Amino acid sequence: MQPQSGEFFWVVAGLLLLFPLSTDPLAKIPPDRLQLWPLTPRGRLILRAVSIWFSPIPWVTVALLIWTAKPVLAFAFLGAGIVFYGLGSVFSSLPERMPRWNLARYIPEIGGPLGGLIRKNLRELLTVLDPYAALVLTISGVLYRILSSHVEPDALMMLSSLIVLAMSTYALCLFGLDTDSGFTRYHLLPLHGWQILLAKDAAYLLVVTILVLPLAPLSGFAAALMALAVGHKSSVEHLIPQTRWRFTGGANITTGLLQIFLMFSAGTLVGRTSKLILLPCLAICAGSLWWYGRRLQQLE
Amino acid sequence: MITCRNLTKRYGDHIAVDALNLDVPAGSICCFLGPNGAGKSTTVKMLTGLLKPTAGQAIVAGHDIAADSLAVKRAIGVLPETLGLFGTLTVEEHLHLSGPIYGLTRAETHQRTDQLLRALALDDGRQTFIDHCSYGMRKKTALAMALLHNPKALFLDEPFEGIDPVTSKTLRELMLTLTSRGVTVFLTSHILSIVERLASQIVMIRDGRVVWNSRPDELPKSLEDVYFDLVETPIVEELPWLGSSPS
Repeated sequence: MQPQSGEFFWVVAGLLLLFPLSTDPLAKIPPDRLQLWPLTPRGRLILRAVSIWFSPIPWVTVALLIWTAKPVLAFAFLGAGIVFYGLGSVFSSLPERMPRWNLARYIPEIGGPLGGLIRKNLRELLTVLDPYAALVLTISGVLYRILSSHVEPDALMMLSSLIVLAMSTYALCLFGLDTDSGFTRYHLLPLHGWQILLAKDAAYLLVVTILVLPLAPLSGFAAALMALAVGHKSSVEHLIPQTRWRFTGGANITTGLLQIFLMFSAGTLVGRTSKLILLPCLAICAGSLWWYGRRLQQLE
Repeated sequence: MITCRNLTKRYGDHIAVDALNLDVPAGSICCFLGPNGAGKSTTVKMLTGLLKPTAGQAIVAGHDIAADSLAVKRAIGVLPETLGLFGTLTVEEHLHLSGPIYGLTRAETHQRTDQLLRALALDDGRQTFIDHCSYGMRKKTALAMALLHNPKALFLDEPFEGIDPVTSKTLRELMLTLTSRGVTVFLTSHILSIVERLASQIVMIRDGRVVWNSRPDELPKSLEDVYFDLVETPIVEELPWLGSSPS
């Protein structure tokens, strides 16, 4: 018998996965270039028809049809893919078409020399899907906290670590949304490498702290510090480009596993033993910040 | 203001800049010319702290670029080849980000931002996100960032490419005003007609080596002729299929 407690999580994960799966493969070609190609209307139609098969959605639909023999399920999946593609297109083009709807505009100015960089980093972080997946987990946790007659502290601790897990890949590619142009600016600014990394960390910790605040904030914070401590190495040494409105990815699996182990260990230790465990977590994160800040400065 | 002694950059066996010696006095406009791949951008990158020299020394605004790169970065303004902009920020937010990093107060930053955006005709687009800006607007934003903190030396990589004639004129006048106040301008350009009118020093580079370095009035012929003689000869390749009827 299938356990039912995980169904909600799988439904949420499945829905979130539909966003990256349902992108248009033809969108990889710059639209201006596509318009200039001397194709007949028939040629464009063929290109469109062929490109659809480069998307995983029709293949999964066919697989569902064959293996489950349930056309309703298969076509519901196909329909969901089309709906999510439409939602994704509207969502990503909205800021350009209606600048007032660009919510990034409403992130307030932050004081201090690094305030502008922190605001920029916050905006970048909010243009990938990871924090929204984490937000779904936060809302689930809050609902559990409100609706459950007996709240298990361990459950809140684990949920907080799960929220940081949802955000952990971002910590491995902190510069993934900075293009070559942005990276040039970092090197031109009269800042130490650790200051540039600190502005990244501050934005990350701010978002994570807000997300874990209603659950087990100290466990979540400790896990986030460890996520960053490991993430600095990968972020600085392997610049992995990321795409907006997608989940972050592409990080090294070994580094990812080490990160998960340290995150859950730190979160559990803080939740079950002493809040003072936060201090070594802070020290490790600060040490990593200093060391990889130096490495960042040495990069050309 | 800018001094290079045997400044060299090697990438494995390839020598991008070969023992460059250069003196650019304060208050002058030094135009650095050469074909693509000659070493112009590499030199600018070394002088602005983006690249570490393999050998040699350079002093910019009184600071050694290798030993005190942060002091150099504080003293200079740079318009880099890639512009150095962030897609998630608006035009004015780039300046608001930059000012406090260079030690300007919020009020100073906002006041200078307003003035620079007006001077560069960017006022109407100040709240446009960089991702939605034209190339010219982006270039002007990067230029405004270079000027915001009142630098002692300006490094401009191809400043006249992709901007409209009015901005080009504004920029030329701005450079002349700056140099009259003692600011040094070091620029690379392919537009020889502008260089001829602006430069107080012309340096030509080919295969990483300086092949000409003089004041414009010391040129024996027109700048274009000297350039074609010393740096690169125009290629004349017959393309008979161009303009012919399709078979």
